[in-house]
Amino acid sequence: MTTFTGIAAEHDEAHVAHGPKPPPRGWRRLLYPGFLRAAWMAPLFFGIGSGIVCLLRWWGGWHPIWFGSIITLVGALVALPIGFLAGIGAFDYWVRYAIGAPTQPEDHSGHGAYSWRDYFRVNTDHKVIGIQYLTTTIFFFLAAGLLALMVRAELAKPGMQFFDNQTYNGLFSVHASLMIFLFVIPAFAGIANFVVPLMLGAPDMAFPRLNALSYWLLPIAGIMMLCSFIVPGGAFAAGWTGYAPLSVHQPLGTIFFNMGVQWAGASSIMTALNFLVTIITMRAPGMTFWRMPLLVWANFTTSLLVVIATPFIAGSQFFVMFDRVMHTSFFETGGGGYALGYQHIFWFYSHPAVYIMMLPGFGIASEVISVMARKPIFGYRLMALSLLAILVLGFSVWAHHMFVSGMAPWLRVPMMITTLLIAIPTGIKVFSWLATLWDGKILFCTPMLWALGFVSMFVIGGLSGIYLGAVPIDIHVSDTYFVVAHIHYVLFGGSLFTIFAGIYYWFPKMTGRMYDERLGKLHFWLTFVGFNATFFPMHLIGVQGMPRRVSDYDPIFAHWNMFISVASFGLGASTIVFLYNMVHSMRFGRVAESNPWRSLTIEWQVSSPPPVFNFDEIPQVIGNPYEYGVPGARHAVLGGVREGIGAEPVPVD
Amino acid sequence: MRRGSIVQLALFAAVAATLGVLLALLPNWLPIAASREAGRIHFVFWFVTGICVFIFAIVAAVLGYAVWKFRRPPDDDTDGPPIHGHTGLEIAWTAIPFLLVTAIAIVSAIVLAKDDAAGANPLRIDVVAQQFKWSFFYPSLGRKESDELVLPVNRSVVLTMTSKDVIHSFWVPEFSQKQDVVPGIHPTLHITPDRIGTYPVICTELCGEGHALMRSRARVLSATGFAKWAKSGRAAGAPAPSAAGPGAALFTAQGCIACHTLAAAGSHGTIGPDLDKLKAEAARAGKALPAFVRESIVSPNAYVEPHFPKNTMPQNFAQKLTKSQLTSLVRFLVTSAKKGSK
Repeated sequence: MTTFTGIAAEHDEAHVAHGPKPPPRGWRRLLYPGFLRAAWMAPLFFGIGSGIVCLLRWWGGWHPIWFGSIITLVGALVALPIGFLAGIGAFDYWVRYAIGAPTQPEDHSGHGAYSWRDYFRVNTDHKVIGIQYLTTTIFFFLAAGLLALMVRAELAKPGMQFFDNQTYNGLFSVHASLMIFLFVIPAFAGIANFVVPLMLGAPDMAFPRLNALSYWLLPIAGIMMLCSFIVPGGAFAAGWTGYAPLSVHQPLGTIFFNMGVQWAGASSIMTALNFLVTIITMRAPGMTFWRMPLLVWANFTTSLLVVIATPFIAGSQFFVMFDRVMHTSFFETGGGGYALGYQHIFWFYSHPAVYIMMLPGFGIASEVISVMARKPIFGYRLMALSLLAILVLGFSVWAHHMFVSGMAPWLRVPMMITTLLIAIPTGIKVFSWLATLWDGKILFCTPMLWALGFVSMFVIGGLSGIYLGAVPIDIHVSDTYFVVAHIHYVLFGGSLFTIFAGIYYWFPKMTGRMYDERLGKLHFWLTFVGFNATFFPMHLIGVQGMPRRVSDYDPIFAHWNMFISVASFGLGASTIVFLYNMVHSMRFGRVAESNPWRSLTIEWQVSSPPPVFNFDEIPQVIGNPYEYGVPGARHAVLGGVREGIGAEPVPVD
Repeated sequence: MRRGSIVQLALFAAVAATLGVLLALLPNWLPIAASREAGRIHFVFWFVTGICVFIFAIVAAVLGYAVWKFRRPPDDDTDGPPIHGHTGLEIAWTAIPFLLVTAIAIVSAIVLAKDDAAGANPLRIDVVAQQFKWSFFYPSLGRKESDELVLPVNRSVVLTMTSKDVIHSFWVPEFSQKQDVVPGIHPTLHITPDRIGTYPVICTELCGEGHALMRSRARVLSATGFAKWAKSGRAAGAPAPSAAGPGAALFTAQGCIACHTLAAAGSHGTIGPDLDKLKAEAARAGKALPAFVRESIVSPNAYVEPHFPKNTMPQNFAQKLTKSQLTSLVRFLVTSAKKGSK
C-alpha cells in the first residue's frame, strides 16, 4: 500500500507540465526513439523477415529461394512496419517489461504537445492523438477524393479516355478502401479520441500507450494501400469488397489490400477496446450511464460493434491471402472451397461496419443539434436505446448484400425483415432530432448547417435503403449506380457531413482559435449542392440500367455521366475552401473562448485548448448533459475552472 | 406548440409532398417492363415510392418549417423550452414506421414468391459465364449453343447458371431479374418475357479487367420466330465453329473471343492484342510465328505487347488445354494470321 501511494505521489508530481526530454547528441541519437531510429530499424526488420522466408524456402527445397511475392508479403508488409513501429518507440515500454528489464517510471515526457514536433512522435496524450488521427485521415480523404475524380474523369464520356480497364478498377477499389478504412472509421475515432475523455471528465484514455500504438498503425495501412499502385500489375482491383475467387487471382497489389486491412483493423480494435474500458471505468463521479452525452453512447455502441465484427474481415482477408500464397482452398471451388463463404464472412463485418461509420455521426449530430437549438435532446433515453437496437439488429442483416448472390433462397425474406426493422430505431433518431429542433432557438452556424445537412441527406439515404431492403427491388437495382448513390448518401451525406460538423464544432476546443464562419458556410453550401448534383442522378441511371464498377457504359447514359462528372469536380473543389479555412484559422483565427457555444458538456468547461492533463481536479457530475432551458441546470461542477458557464454568447455570424 | 402553426406546417408538407411526387413522376425512372417478373417488381417499386414520398414529405416539412420558423434572433441568448420528450409521440413514430415496413415486407415477400415460381412446361436454358463472355445452351434443342439469349415470348424460362472462373452476374434491366453466376453452385432464375424486342444482357458483378465489356443481347421472339430460330443450323450471331476446325471452336469456348479481335472468329475484343496482326507481333517479339503463338498461350507474360498490361491474360491455359487442343488452337491462329496478311 505504501509503495502504491509512493508511486502515485511520484506520478502526480510528474503531472507538472514539462516538454519531452531533449534527444541525445551524436551516434546515441540513432538509439533514441524517433524517425531516425525507424529509418534503420525498418530495413533491418525487412531483412530479418526476408531472411526467414529465404531460409525456410532453402530448407524446404523450394525454388526460387528469393520469391518476390512472398518477400513482399512477409518482408515489406509485415516485418517492415513492425520495425518502423519499434523504431519510433511504440513498443519501448512493453519490450522492457517483457524482457525483464527495469521499466522506466512514467515521467510524461511522451505526453502532450509543446511544439509541432510533438505531433510527429509517439505521444500518449489523447488530445494529441486525436489531432494526429484527424490530420492523417484528412490526408487520406484528399488522396481518395482525387482517385474518385480520376474515376469521374474516365466516366465523363463513354469509351476509354485516360486509363485502361485494370487501372480503372484499381482507382475505384483504392478510393473506396481509403475512404472507409483510412477516413471515415478513423476520423470518427480521432474526434472521439479528443472529445470522449474530456466529456467523461477523465484525465486521458484508459490505455494511453495502446492509444498511441493504435494511431501509428493507421499511416502504415494507408501508405500500404496507396503503394499498391506502384507494384507490378497495379493496385488491387477487385473492389473494396474484394470478392473471392476473383481477388485470389488478381495481381500482386491485392495482398496490399489484404494486409492493409489487417493493420487498419488492428488499429480499430485496439481503439475500440480502449474506448470501452475508458467509458466503463473512467467516468467522473456522478457520471452514470444515463448522464452520458450521446456522443459517448454512440462511441460505446460503435466500439462494441468494432470489437465484435472486425475480426471477421480480418479472417476473410487472411483466407483470401492463404488461397493465393499457400494454395489453400477456402474459396476455391476446385479444392472444395465455397465461393459464397467469402461474402458471408465479409458482410458479417462489413454490414456492421456501415453502423461503425454511422453511429459516431449520430452522436455528433445529437451534440450539435441540442446545443445550437438550445433545447434538451428529445427522448434522450430512447435515443441511447435506439443505438443499442441498431447494434443488435446490425448483426442480423448481413445477407441483404447477397440477395442475388445465389445463397439459400429462404434466407432472403428473414434478412429483408430484419433489414426493414432497422428503419425503426433509425427513424426514432431522425424524428427525435426534428422534435429537438421544434420550437428551438436555432443558431445557423457552420456545425449546425452540417448537422442539418446530415439529417436531410441521411433521410434520403435511408429511404433509398428501403428500396434496397425490399428483395424484389433489390434484385433489379443490386450492383447498379442506384447502390452507388445510396452508399454515398449514407456515407458522404451521412458520415462525412457529421465529420465536418464535428470538426467545425470542436475546432475552437482543439486549436484555441475560431474558424472563419463565412468560409465555413461557403464550404457547406458548395458541398451540399455539389453533393446532390453528383449523387442524386446516380439513382436514376442505376434504376435505368447502368451497372456499377464499369469503365465503359452504354452511350444512352452519356449525358447524365457528363453532368455527374462536372458536378463531382465542383464538389472536389469545395474541399479547397475547407482546407484553406482550417490552415488559415489555425494560425490566424480569432482566439476562441473556452465555451463559444455555451454548451453544458464537460469538454467546454475547460480552457481551449484544454490543459495537458485535462482537469486540475476531477469534475463532479451533477445532472443531465442537455438541460438547456432548465433554469440553473448544470451538468458538471469543475474545481477551479468555471469560466465557461454563463459566459457571454459569441456573435459567430 | 407555442410558436408553431399546424396550418403553416401542413402547407410545408403539401409543398414537400408535391415535390416528392414530381420527382417520382417526371423522370422516366424505370426501364420498360419486358417480363411478367418486371411488371411485379415495378409494382413494388411504386408501392415503396408512395411510402417514401409520404415519409419524405413529413420530414422535409418539419425540417423546413423549423429552419424557417425557429431561427434564433441575433441578440437572443435565451434557451428553448425544456421539452424532454413526449411518450405519445415516441410511441407513434415507433409504431407507424413499424406498420409501413411490415406492409413493404409483405408485398415484397408475395412478389418474390411469385417471381420465384416457374410456369408450366418452362423452357430450360443453361447460362455459362466466363471472363468475359456469355454462352447460352438449349438442352431441349440438342444442346444448341448461342452467344445471344434467344427467348420465345410469353413462355416461362428457367435459366440455370454456371461459371467457369469467377463470380459474374446476369442482368437484363428490362426483365428486372438478376442472378449472380457463382463457381461451384448452379443457381436458377425465372423469367417470363412478355414483350418482343432486343435487350442488353449485362454482367453486374465485377469479374476482372474486361467486366465493363462483358455484354450480350437477349432477343425475345414470337413463338413462330423462336421455332424458326430453333431449327436454324446454328445460333444467330455465333461464329461457325466447324468451318475452321477444332481450333476455332476452342477459340470461342475458351473465351479468347471476349478479349481479342480475330476476323476468322468474328470477334472484336480490345482488351488483348489484335490477333489479326499476329505476324507483326511475333516479329516484335523476335520469334517464329508458331512458337510465338504457343508461348503466348501457355505463358502469356513471356512477351507482352507494348501498351497492354501484364498479368491480364489467364495464365492457366497450359493446365486447362490438352496437348492436342493446344496444337489445334495454335494451328488455327497461325493459319488465320497467315491468311490475314497475304
